[in-house]
Amino acid sequence: MTNDLTTWLDNLLAELDGISVRRTSRRRLRVEVASDALPALLELLRGRASFVHLSAISCVDWIDAGQFELVYHCWSYETQSLVSVHTRIPREPGVYISVYDIYTPAAFFERDIHEMFGVWFEGSPDLSKFILTEWDGPPPMRKDFDSEAWVNQHFDWQDYHPDWLKDLEARGGGIAVPPDEQRFSRRTVDET
Amino acid sequence: MRPENYEAQRQPPSYDYELNIGPNHPGIEGNYAFKLRLNGDRVIAGRADAGYLHRGFEKLMEGRLWIQNLAITPRICVPDPVPMEVSYCLAVEDLCGLVVPERAQWLRVMQLELSRIAAHLFIFGGHAATTGMYTPMFWGIADRDLILDLFEEMTGGRVYHIYNIPGGVRRDLPDGFGERVANTLDYLESRLPDYDNLLFTNQVFVHRAQGCGPISQQQALEWGVTGPNLRATGLKFDVRRDDPYLVYDQLEFEIPTEEPGDAWARALVRRREIKESIRIIRQVVARLPTLAGPIRCPIPNPLAWNVPAGSTYTRVESSKGELAWYVVSDGGERPYRTHVRGPSQMHAVQVLEQLAIGCRIEDVAQIMFSLDACPPEVDR
Repeated sequence: MTNDLTTWLDNLLAELDGISVRRTSRRRLRVEVASDALPALLELLRGRASFVHLSAISCVDWIDAGQFELVYHCWSYETQSLVSVHTRIPREPGVYISVYDIYTPAAFFERDIHEMFGVWFEGSPDLSKFILTEWDGPPPMRKDFDSEAWVNQHFDWQDYHPDWLKDLEARGGGIAVPPDEQRFSRRTVDET
Repeated sequence: MRPENYEAQRQPPSYDYELNIGPNHPGIEGNYAFKLRLNGDRVIAGRADAGYLHRGFEKLMEGRLWIQNLAITPRICVPDPVPMEVSYCLAVEDLCGLVVPERAQWLRVMQLELSRIAAHLFIFGGHAATTGMYTPMFWGIADRDLILDLFEEMTGGRVYHIYNIPGGVRRDLPDGFGERVANTLDYLESRLPDYDNLLFTNQVFVHRAQGCGPISQQQALEWGVTGPNLRATGLKFDVRRDDPYLVYDQLEFEIPTEEPGDAWARALVRRREIKESIRIIRQVVARLPTLAGPIRCPIPNPLAWNVPAGSTYTRVESSKGELAWYVVSDGGERPYRTHVRGPSQMHAVQVLEQLAIGCRIEDVAQIMFSLDACPPEVDR
């Protein structure tokens, strides 16, 4: 029965335009779709193909292509298969539409992606700060955010030189790695 | 949140008041805040506030080698770290097309199920403590320690093991380990009637837990609830059976379900799952001596390992529900993107906020513990 249903799903998806479907394993289906057709596809998956469980929404920053990739992982309890719907939106201005009216769990993932990547989801119920309450910098999960340079620019390095270390150094010991070869470099944010 | 940034919500004058449970509070699981709006002792609204445990693991992992990330993965969920390791390894294996030797798969199952029992004992005791009964908590933590002893012998670590690597496991079992596992399992099984007597026949617990924080099956499906919380609403779903990984399709086990969907049903499902996990580990212990052979497949030099480009989504059943990694590789030495979907991201935020409405203030902690909310999974 499982195989019949998934074949039926393959046929259903094959009827849609501008969509590429690839079966990666027996229970996994990879679908690529244009961003304007995605809500309709999810509606179809949920309403007609019993994919009632939105497992997650993942966001990938493809900075070289200037795009965000959004991946919607939907699971069907009946056909026992997982469809990953991939879509790409332009990195600027990074605005997309919420699927909260189709899948309630989307609210959490959209809030998270908004906070970490700065993607605005039109119609999402709550995009307020959640994890990074005190954060006022750029969205940190973007590829152009350099954590180390940010730390160097916003925090002071403290010289740690207690007496016991001075004693060691007087006897020729101490920290073996010279400061400029230490793991944490003094990179700073490029101002240009 | 720093005190200077806290501003009470502007509301018209009323007898309502605000109360913060957490981030440091005995009634909350981990560092997590739950901000309540109350009238008398009735909750009018609740709002989850996370971020006290945010360590930026997903960003950190993008800057480290594939093999270095193994040290990060178990730290995402403290009480139940093994499913995190295993699902990350499954993802890397899927991207590289590695075939894990059978013996390693059985060893992983043993470790996963031991971890499930440990996590269930832990939360079981925590749930009892929120109803004022501390003895099950002490017992649960003491019995969990026996499993940690086994972990220490098997992997070298008590809480974080880092036993799995892509391609297999790090080391084989020590001599006579199967016997010691069997002894511990016998002991744990003999303890279960004591837990039943202490908790499930205790009228205090019965009256407090029954009808507390009920979720209907329809609500559970709509809110994306998974794991024991979903099974407590009567839906027989388990990733181990319905989307099998490792060798779970060769094992015999039941999937316990309960109908009411309240705190009582959730505790009962966990109690019955301990029994099923014991059953699974016994099958593994009986099977392992017949499986000779390697415990890992050959992998490239892990310090210069270019994982083929691609993306994968691997799901496992953790003690809290469906756990998944979405891992993207661009063919480099480091992951291009990793995203972890913890089960608590659903039931510790939206579901908890919904369930708290209308309940009494003393039940909030119980609802949170009965859902098995794990804040580190939310914060990552």
